[in-house]
Amino acid sequence: MPLFVLLFFSVSLTAQTAMSGTEAKALRTLVKTQANATRTISSSFTQYKHLDFLTNDIESKGKMAFKAPDLVKWQYTEPFAYSVLFKDQKLHIDDAGQKSDMDLSSSKVFKQLNTLITASIRGDMFDENAFDISYFKQEKGSLVHFFPKDEQFADFIKAFHITFNMQGEVDKVKMIEPSDDYTLIVFSDRKQNQSLPDAVFAQ
Amino acid sequence: MRFLLSSFFLLLVSCAPYPKKQGFSASALSKETLVNPFFSDATKDYVYKSKITIYDKTLGGILIIKKTAEEQHRIVFTTEMGNTIFDFTLTEEQFKVNRILADLDRKIIVKTLQRDFTALIKENLMATKGFTNGTTTIRQAKLLGKFHYYTFENGKLVQITRTGNTREKVVFRFSGINDNIAQEIQIDHRNIRLQIGLKAF
Repeated sequence: MPLFVLLFFSVSLTAQTAMSGTEAKALRTLVKTQANATRTISSSFTQYKHLDFLTNDIESKGKMAFKAPDLVKWQYTEPFAYSVLFKDQKLHIDDAGQKSDMDLSSSKVFKQLNTLITASIRGDMFDENAFDISYFKQEKGSLVHFFPKDEQFADFIKAFHITFNMQGEVDKVKMIEPSDDYTLIVFSDRKQNQSLPDAVFAQ
Repeated sequence: MRFLLSSFFLLLVSCAPYPKKQGFSASALSKETLVNPFFSDATKDYVYKSKITIYDKTLGGILIIKKTAEEQHRIVFTTEMGNTIFDFTLTEEQFKVNRILADLDRKIIVKTLQRDFTALIKENLMATKGFTNGTTTIRQAKLLGKFHYYTFENGKLVQITRTGNTREKVVFRFSGINDNIAQEIQIDHRNIRLQIGLKAF
């Protein structure tokens, strides 16, 4: 085997190795402990929309705020002003000042997506009834692949890849569509359990 | 008699080609082909923040257009969070739906989007007639069996109008044009309450 192929294999092995059952259990415990202790999160994020046929990923940036149990606000600031608030089974949208609501109860897929995005911010979505799950070790943390079992949902999103840091906090969420195009959200400057004024979650 | 004459005149005007109704007169065609340059560069990703208003409902998202080969474009509409709403491939002969959200998968919606996007991205057309009012020129071309009128100001394409029975059916306005990119595009349907507003980013 040529050296570079060997090198490639050894590099990819260090980058991502399957976890043992014990390691996976330890990760689940760590993440659940972390999630249970989380009352609020505020974080910056960068979103990359990857479509295979594009020359560049479409990049957008903003801030995310979470308050337990299920309040989530995504506020995009670049390259456009747009925010979406998940509250009371509704999506409240503010599109550069123009406000509208979307009733989630009317769309099963969007309702599931909402639940999963909320769960994925905390990382606590180890539900084996809803997902086939695989666990990997990485140099600085862990990577978990969640494959939705619900066919209708899998038709919308094939897999969630969540990257955790050593503390069991979510660093990245990748939502992969059936076409293999994906949306990658990378969190930065994460602050946990700081008090968040109610105004952040006002409609 | 006067009444009859004026009705006759009205009839003549309403049967006249769309540009004549706008006060344009026929002119000789200097070239037989006309070019829509807005989505013609295969090295560019065309990305627009979009607002689709159907009756009283507004659907926001991101419209992505890419020329993927000669006479071939990919058009994808996603939510701001990146979830695909629809994904089409348009070629000279074919309109392929790669993906569409079940809620939108209705024949009339798909057909309307196909017509609008074909007019939006169709790069080279055969002009069949020309009109001018001195400063602005209009060229007529047939696309998907319908007359489309391409309005050029100072040599730049600023509007496409699709007509039916010589009446405006859909108007595409291009503004903020620089380097063959329209910063804003407004698509207004006259016979249904459908508007699509696009802003480049």
